[in-house]
Amino acid sequence: MKRILASVTDGKGFDIGLVLLPLAFLFIMSGLPLVYNVVMSFQEVDMFSLGSFVRPFVGFKNYVDLFSQPETRPILLNTALFVSSSIAGQFLIGFGLALFFWMNFPGASWLRGLFLVSWVMPGLVVGAIWNWILSGDFGVLNFFLRETGVIEGNIFWRSDPNYSLWAVIIANIWLGTSFNMILLSVGLSGIPKDLYEAAELDGANALQRFFTITLPMMRSTIGAIIALGLIFTLQQFDLFAGITSGGPNNSSNVTQYWAWDLSFRQYDFAKGATISVIMIVFVMLASVVYVRSTRHEVRG
Amino acid sequence: MTLQIELNGVNKFYGAFHALKDINLAIEEGTFVALVGPSGCGKSTLLRSLAGLEKISTGEMKIAGARMNDVPPRKRDVAMVFQSYALYPHMTVEENLTYSLRIRGVKKAEARKAAEEVAATTGLSHLMKRYPRELSGGQRQRVAMSRAIIRHPKAFLFDEPLSNLDAALRVHMRKEIRALHDRLNATSVYVTHDQIEAMTMADHVVVMRDGIIEQQGRPLDLYDRPANKFVAGFIGSPAMNFIPAIVADDGAQVVLDFGKTQAKLAIGSRLSPGTSLTAGIRPEHIKIVAEGQGAFDVPVGIVESTGSATFITSATQPELTIVETGRGGAKSGDIIGLAIEPAQLHLFDTATGRRIEPQSGQVGIEPLRHLHLAGHAS
Repeated sequence: MKRILASVTDGKGFDIGLVLLPLAFLFIMSGLPLVYNVVMSFQEVDMFSLGSFVRPFVGFKNYVDLFSQPETRPILLNTALFVSSSIAGQFLIGFGLALFFWMNFPGASWLRGLFLVSWVMPGLVVGAIWNWILSGDFGVLNFFLRETGVIEGNIFWRSDPNYSLWAVIIANIWLGTSFNMILLSVGLSGIPKDLYEAAELDGANALQRFFTITLPMMRSTIGAIIALGLIFTLQQFDLFAGITSGGPNNSSNVTQYWAWDLSFRQYDFAKGATISVIMIVFVMLASVVYVRSTRHEVRG
Repeated sequence: MTLQIELNGVNKFYGAFHALKDINLAIEEGTFVALVGPSGCGKSTLLRSLAGLEKISTGEMKIAGARMNDVPPRKRDVAMVFQSYALYPHMTVEENLTYSLRIRGVKKAEARKAAEEVAATTGLSHLMKRYPRELSGGQRQRVAMSRAIIRHPKAFLFDEPLSNLDAALRVHMRKEIRALHDRLNATSVYVTHDQIEAMTMADHVVVMRDGIIEQQGRPLDLYDRPANKFVAGFIGSPAMNFIPAIVADDGAQVVLDFGKTQAKLAIGSRLSPGTSLTAGIRPEHIKIVAEGQGAFDVPVGIVESTGSATFITSATQPELTIVETGRGGAKSGDIIGLAIEPAQLHLFDTATGRRIEPQSGQVGIEPLRHLHLAGHAS
């Protein structure tokens, strides 16, 4: 007993203790619910069996049922479109801004800090604000597009099935751009200045320097950001709740919102869990990319 | 010989800070020039200006006869070896070497052939597929140099390329760089804070301080006839001894002032009596003789021996450093006599630090009559 105590205060026991604590936390708060969710997707769950762990095992029935539903395909496609467009928009605008602030003009860091404001805003508040901006009758976005001659008549962003998903995508791009910009800025500032000087003396012009030095040196940062972007956009729930509620007629519905809707509004917990499991697969893939790209950091 | 690099009245300002002051420099084709000076003297700024990484404020800069003031770095056709090497970390050695060729659109096979040729001469052939992080410091250094060589530039610019290597490798690479320069018949400008590197490698040494060129010339000329006290103290190791002195009444001797004692020394020519100046003697030019046999006697303070040489520091104020080859018998506390050849005595104006030529017999300053010279011991 004394030896164990000594090891905890001064030795390997202390290290093990440091590892065990967060591991226990992770297991209880994340691991168990995850496993529970996976188990639930293979069970028959209704309001009455919700309280017990022992429920009829149904195999892949939930999955088969889910994919036979007519709305599943459009919702999965919506999710793919939402994720890819959001990431593309956030990344491109974020990278552009990061490069812009990298020029280090007077006030650059101050302005860059200001951009973080969008990131600290709660999603529901962002949704509420974008509701006004996107409003069909008096929205400022319609006003702007109309006055610049891009559109003829008003677009009813939130209620037109052709635009409802894009309404959320636009808001999500706005929300996530600053995060992309900050991470990319960090990556940019990590590239040694003398590499650019060497490349310049080697005859490379600005465009060649960007493609031969900046982009390859940013590879790990970009990989990490895309992976994190995938995780964050698959998590995005508030904006759907705040702007379209997945409607009209599921035209802006995505898996993460649908899973919540099935579980907590239609009380079909098994289906909700099934969708979650499908999402877990994608998030896992993103995590692998993230871990790999941060591990293979290229530093001189 | 044609002039490869020309600087006429070059000035560089960073805001109010005057980094380069009226620099004039002419470098002939095939010359190895060393820019040397303490940190902050402007030597790196000068080199970076040559590369085009810094823009000069006024004056004219020419490379191979063409005006370069407003030419961007990529069009100057000069190659630079950075202190940090600045190797592209995401490229293999071969890709590092061929980068400039690929940028210029040289065909892949041709670029590879050129890289192999250069690598063969610098001993990198077996490392072509490695990444910079997998190389040792010396190997990285070679890659940096090879990357410059492959371009056949108009001039090589070296920015303290050896300062990240350990001492033994530094001495080795010193010779290698010089041999490379000779073989390529290149024009090189080499920045260093190490005067030994400058002296051993260069044909032409430029000593800088506070943005001005203090003196330039052949290495041994700088050693033999430093133009001022700064150059005298900077060139040579261990550094030159400086002793305040006054020209004696007869004008043919100086009286060295060691505070409590004085010593008379012949200067081999005539100066105005009473002139206050600074005498400089190189430690290796002082000969130790028996007490009373030399020009003057000093007590021995510290004795340090490296085996091949003995460094003796006198217990005087100011201290004198004396280098004796071999192992002398002097011990701390001994009284030794010192002999100094008049020709090896350097005299400097105390106020301006400028060299006074004893041979000419001319002194540019008024003699200071009010100084008492009575009571000097000889």
